[in-house]
Amino acid sequence: MAVNSIGTYDFPSRSRQELYGDDQLVHVWFQENMWFCASACFRAPKAMTWGDFWNGLLVPYAEEDPDFDPGARRVWTLHGEVIEPRDDQTLEEIGVEHKDVIGMRVLA
Amino acid sequence: MSTTAATRPVGVDIQESETNRSVVEAIEATNEGCTVQHMPGLVRITAPGRLVVTRESVEERLGREWETHEFQLAIVSYFGHIKEWDDDEIVIAWDH
Amino acid sequence: MTIAPKAPRKLTMKQRYEALTRDLDWEPSYVETSEVFPYTEFEGIKIHDWSKWEDPFRLTVDAYTKYQAEKDKRLYAVLDGFAQSQGHLSLTEASYLNAMKLFLQGVTPLEYQAHRNFAYLARHLNGPGPRFAALCQSIDEMRHTQTEIHTLSNYNKYYGGFHNYLEQHDRVWYLSVPKSFFDDALTAGPFEFLIAIGFSFEYLLTNLLFVPFMSGASFNGDLPTMTFGFSAQSDESRHMTLGLEAIKFLLEQDEANVPIVQAWIDKWFWRGYRVTALVAQMLDYMLPRKVMSWKEAFELYFEEQMLGGLFQDLAFYGITPPKHVEHAIAEKEVLSHQVYWTLYQFSHAAAFTTTFPDAEAQSWLSDNYPGTFDKLYKPLWDKEARNLEAGGRHFVRGLPQLCQVCQIPMLFTEPDDPTTICQRHSEYRGEKFQTCSDGCQWIFEREPEKYVQAWLPVHQIYQGNCGGPTVPDVLAWYGIQEGDGGEYKGSLDAAHWARWHDAADHSHIGSEA
Ligand SMILES: [Fe+2]
Ligand SMILES: [Fe+2]
Ligand SMILES: [Zn+2]
Repeated sequence: MAVNSIGTYDFPSRSRQELYGDDQLVHVWFQENMWFCASACFRAPKAMTWGDFWNGLLVPYAEEDPDFDPGARRVWTLHGEVIEPRDDQTLEEIGVEHKDVIGMRVLA
Repeated sequence: MSTTAATRPVGVDIQESETNRSVVEAIEATNEGCTVQHMPGLVRITAPGRLVVTRESVEERLGREWETHEFQLAIVSYFGHIKEWDDDEIVIAWDH
Repeated sequence: MTIAPKAPRKLTMKQRYEALTRDLDWEPSYVETSEVFPYTEFEGIKIHDWSKWEDPFRLTVDAYTKYQAEKDKRLYAVLDGFAQSQGHLSLTEASYLNAMKLFLQGVTPLEYQAHRNFAYLARHLNGPGPRFAALCQSIDEMRHTQTEIHTLSNYNKYYGGFHNYLEQHDRVWYLSVPKSFFDDALTAGPFEFLIAIGFSFEYLLTNLLFVPFMSGASFNGDLPTMTFGFSAQSDESRHMTLGLEAIKFLLEQDEANVPIVQAWIDKWFWRGYRVTALVAQMLDYMLPRKVMSWKEAFELYFEEQMLGGLFQDLAFYGITPPKHVEHAIAEKEVLSHQVYWTLYQFSHAAAFTTTFPDAEAQSWLSDNYPGTFDKLYKPLWDKEARNLEAGGRHFVRGLPQLCQVCQIPMLFTEPDDPTTICQRHSEYRGEKFQTCSDGCQWIFEREPEKYVQAWLPVHQIYQGNCGGPTVPDVLAWYGIQEGDGGEYKGSLDAAHWARWHDAADHSHIGSEA
C-alpha cells in the first residue's frame, strides 16, 4: 500500500549511503549481554579494516562494561550467517553494507 | 470475552474538590449499583451499563442552580459513550 | 431545600447548539463543495451525510468561553499561591521534577501541534458540527500549551532542564520520539489525523498518557501541575468525545470506510503505544513516591476499559482490537525496566537526570513485577552497584541504533524472550531499514516512502547536522547546560535541594539557580 497524498509523493531517504561519503553506518548488536541496553550505531569508512574497526570503535565502546574481555572468543554474524572476519579485511571485503547489523556473541 | 451494552461498565473520573463532592453524591444517589473509588486527586465512579447525572439531584445537594455544562469543570476522563447531554441530564452508556 | 424556579430560557441547549452549527452553515452556490473542502476525499473515506455528526456536548460560544475562563481563573489562583509560598520546597524530592522536565520537553510542544491541526480541521471538515468541535479543541490545545508553560516556568527559576524545551523538542534524541509521532499524524490527511490523534491518542491512550503524570504530581506534592493537569483533562473529555464521535461517524457512513479505519487504528495504536514507553519508566522509576505501576495502569486503563469496554462496543461495526496488541500486553512486565535502563545509561545526553534505584525502590519494583524484576533486571542493577562502588557510572560511550519508525533506541526484546533484542529488517529501494518490533515493521512496510524520510537523531549527528562531531558539540547544540542532565546524585538540583532544606536561613533560596 502506498501513501495517500494530495500530490506526487516522492522523497529521498534521509539516511541514504551517499550522505556519508566514503563511510557507512554499521550497527553492532550485543547478543546475550543486557548491559548494553540497545545495539550500537557507528560511522565507519567502507575501507576500514576489521582490526581498526575492532580496536578503534568497538573496544572503546564495549569496555565500558566492567566484564568486558577483549580476548574472549566471539561468534560474529552478518545477514543471518556466521562470519569469521580477519583483522586485515576491510568492512567492504567482509560484506558489510550501509546500515547492516553485525551480531556479536561471547562464547561461554 | 463478550459483554452486552446493558451490563458492561461505564464510568467517569471526577476531580476531587469541594463543589464536586455534591456532584459525586448526586451521582451515587442517582445510580443504583455504582462503585465509588478514590484515587490520587480524583474520584472514579463506575456503573454497569449506564451512568446518569441529573441537574435536579446536583442542585438539591449543592443548594444552588447548576447547569449541566458545569459538569465540564468536574470531569477528568470517562469511559463509555456520551449518549445525551441536555439541560437536565447527562447520560454515559455504550451503544452496542 | 427548595430552589427558586429558574427564569425561563428562550432556547434549550439543543436549540442553541443547532442555531450555532446548522443554521450558520450553508451550501455553496457558485463554487463546487469540493473546492471549498478540497481535502476530504483523497483518503478514500466516503461521507454521505455530514449532518449525522453531532457533538453531544452541544457547546456554544457563550458556554465555552464562560467555563474555560473559569478553569483558567482557578488555575492561576493556585499558581499565585504556589509562587508566594515557596511551594516548590514541598515536593517529595527535586528528582521528582525529572517527570515534569520530560513532560515540558516532550508533551507540551505536542499540545501546540494539536492546536494547529485542529484549527486546520475547523476549517476543512465539511460538517458544521465537527468544525465547531474542532475549533473548540484547537483553542483548548493552545490553552494547554500556555498553562503548561506558565505552570512549569515556576520550576525553571530554581531547577535545571526546563529552560530550552522548545528547541530541544526539535533536536534532542529522545524527544524525536514524541515529535516524530505527532509529525506523522500532522502530515496525514484530516481523517487519518482524527483517528490518530482524536481517537487513538485522546481516547484509547489518554489515560495512560496523562493521568499517570497528574496522579504522580498529586502524590509528590506538585499542586500546580496537578491543577493544570486536571484543568486540561477537563477539556480532554470533550476531546475524547470528538475522537469517539469521529470513529463512529466514519464507520456508520459507509461500509467501505471500515477497513480503512481499522488499518488506521492498527497503525496509531502501535505508534501511540510506543510513545507511552516514556510514561512507563516515569511511573515505575522517576517518581520518588509511586502511584501505581505501569503494569497496573496498563491493565486498568487499557486492558479493562479499552479492550474490555470500547472494543466490545466497536465490534458491532466489524472493528477488531488493534493489530499487535498482544505484543503490548506481553511487554507490560518488561517495558518500564528496559526503558529506564536505557535512559539511565544515556542521561548524560539528556535534559533530565537519572539515578540508581535505591533499596526501597527496588523492593517496590520486585513486589510489583514478581515475575521479571528479580530475575532479569535486579542482576543488572547489582552489577551497576559494584560498578558504582568501583568509581564507575554506566554511561554509554557512543550512539545507539534507532528504530526507523518509533525512533526509540533498539532496546525492545522479542515478545517471547525478554533477553533477546528484537531486530526487524526491511529493504526499500535497495536500502536497509531496521525496526524494533513487528508493530513498527508493519507500519514501515505499509508506507515505506513516508518513513524513509525520518529525521533520526543518530544519523543526523553522524551526518554532521547537529553542532559537530563530539558529544560536547552536540550537547551545546541541544542547549543542554551544566546541571541539566547526567546523574542526579551530586547534581546541581540535588545540591540546591539539600541546601534549601538544611539551611536555617532560607533567605538565599533561589539565588543560586
Ligand atoms: Fe491538550
Ligand atoms: Fe486534547
Ligand atoms: Zn519502533
